[in-house]
Amino acid sequence: MSQDNIRDSIIAVQDLVKVYPGDVKALSGINFSVGRGEFFGFLGPNGAGKSTTIKILSTLLKKTSGSVGVSGFNLDDGPSTKEVRKTIGFAMQEVGLDDLSSGMDFLVMQGLLYKLSRKEAAKRADELLELVSLTDVAKRKVGTYSGGMRRRIDLAGALVHRPQILFLDEPTTGLDPQSRLAIWDHLNELHRQGITILLTTQMMDEADQLCERLAIIDHGEIVAEGTPTSLKNEMGGDLVRISIGRDGGGNDGGSDGVGNQELYERALALVSSQSYVTGSAVGDDGLVVNVKDGDASAPNLLKLMVENNIEIARLAVSKPTLDDVFLKHTGRTIRADEGGGDGYGESLRPMLGLRGRR
Amino acid sequence: MLATFREIYFIYRRNLRTWLAVPANVFAPLFISGLLFIIFGATFDKTISLGGFGTGDYRAFLVAWIIVQVVIFSGADSGFALLTDIMSGYFDKLLLAPINRFSILFGSLMVSGTRALLQALVVVLLALAVGVDFQGGPLGILAMLGLAVVFGLVWSCIGIMIALKTRNAQATQSSGVLFFPFIFLTTAFMPEEQLSGWFKVAVKLNPVTYVMEAMRAIVVEGWDWQTIITGVWVALLMMTVLLVATTWMYRRQTA
Repeated sequence: MSQDNIRDSIIAVQDLVKVYPGDVKALSGINFSVGRGEFFGFLGPNGAGKSTTIKILSTLLKKTSGSVGVSGFNLDDGPSTKEVRKTIGFAMQEVGLDDLSSGMDFLVMQGLLYKLSRKEAAKRADELLELVSLTDVAKRKVGTYSGGMRRRIDLAGALVHRPQILFLDEPTTGLDPQSRLAIWDHLNELHRQGITILLTTQMMDEADQLCERLAIIDHGEIVAEGTPTSLKNEMGGDLVRISIGRDGGGNDGGSDGVGNQELYERALALVSSQSYVTGSAVGDDGLVVNVKDGDASAPNLLKLMVENNIEIARLAVSKPTLDDVFLKHTGRTIRADEGGGDGYGESLRPMLGLRGRR
Repeated sequence: MLATFREIYFIYRRNLRTWLAVPANVFAPLFISGLLFIIFGATFDKTISLGGFGTGDYRAFLVAWIIVQVVIFSGADSGFALLTDIMSGYFDKLLLAPINRFSILFGSLMVSGTRALLQALVVVLLALAVGVDFQGGPLGILAMLGLAVVFGLVWSCIGIMIALKTRNAQATQSSGVLFFPFIFLTTAFMPEEQLSGWFKVAVKLNPVTYVMEAMRAIVVEGWDWQTIITGVWVALLMMTVLLVATTWMYRRQTA
């Protein structure tokens, strides 16, 4: 890595590889950088390598190989880890809280650990409680807090030492919509104040709403990178989603003899031969067709299906979402990973010639 | 250096608070030692006539066993406390702070020492309350408490190593079962001259026996230097070995 690279970006990662004991490859050589003051997001399903990356950057985990620069320090230089830690704050997925201490005590302890004097620590704790609107419950034990309050006190704890970089590992996973919005507000405010934020999420809307730039990560590789807008523009215009078959089912094979799978394959072959179609794939929601102008193409697609005796259950035109971007690059939706089963997209992937990764 | 002591103190204070925040942590050992004392004291009251106990009061004979037992079991608690922090993610939070990571371990061990001291003190106070006569006097009691602290650290190291190795709450909590042989393959209820056969061999091989004997000597005989020094050496040796092993394992696990 060139020295320039480290100076321009507050985080610079090159060829980062992490192999866990038992030969489990979590990261297979990723490259990315984050500029000072940028709000950067890692989007990907469970087990994609998001947490591994963020843990390596924050010195909690040792990398296998590659180079990592954080806040101008190279993580290979052992003695600098302490210096790196002074510049970063980390709010975690597991919510590393001390349930038996009060919110106030938790923050004061954080301050003391970051070398503040008792007086400074108490003052800073007051400020932060105010910031995350928890002053009223400052004396209550953290164990009695609601999910949203826990994330907020955790966020406050990561800010005691006014870090340059804030790492957030799925800060709103499992929260109700209102609490999510509250966290989003705090993050936007921190971003305005100039803190560099690196966030991981498996929620498309979160990545879309908050992040200036995104890396989409899957099976330990970055498959796409850019601003949310540029990633969506890459999709080549609008999307037409088509559900095929009498039961309108997307991917369960159907109850009839022919099976929807075969119909989907035929439909995919048909649409991909059309001049106005810029891309197509089959996912959980059925057939997804990329076109320049969705509204104008929909009638053509409908006609094409009808002429070829493919029954259509539903047809919808939409602007691309990050979900579609993810589908395009990985051949499946993020949601497909959650239940463990990969669904239709996974089984079709080899046939479709989509980029396979395992 | 000063900064390191400051870190250790803050972590010590926090861990001590966490322990005290759960009243059961404090009262359960108190209750159990009181119960053991009364029940076993009454059960074996007459065995004293067998001879070789060095005292006419069976309860005085029991004091050392009860101290050893509560101190050993608090070792499993140390492992469990650390594991609770690991599971909750608070341990990672501590590792993220710009502090020496060994401060976290030593802060935890100091709490173990404090706990052993308090629990042994409870047993001593109970014994005094029921009229046990400590031959070693007040200084003897202090020496016994000191030995309990050293021995408490030994078992806390074991508890912490089990926690770090298994990373499993159930395993760590039930690891206390493994401690039973060490507690009972000793002169817990009978003096050595009343033992025989394989049991006597096992008792002589068990290092815990020597620590227990040293504590007992202080209660029933006073300053029996040979027994006391042997016990102190065994405890110090065990502590040194286990502290090194625990530090080594901790270093590997937190790298």
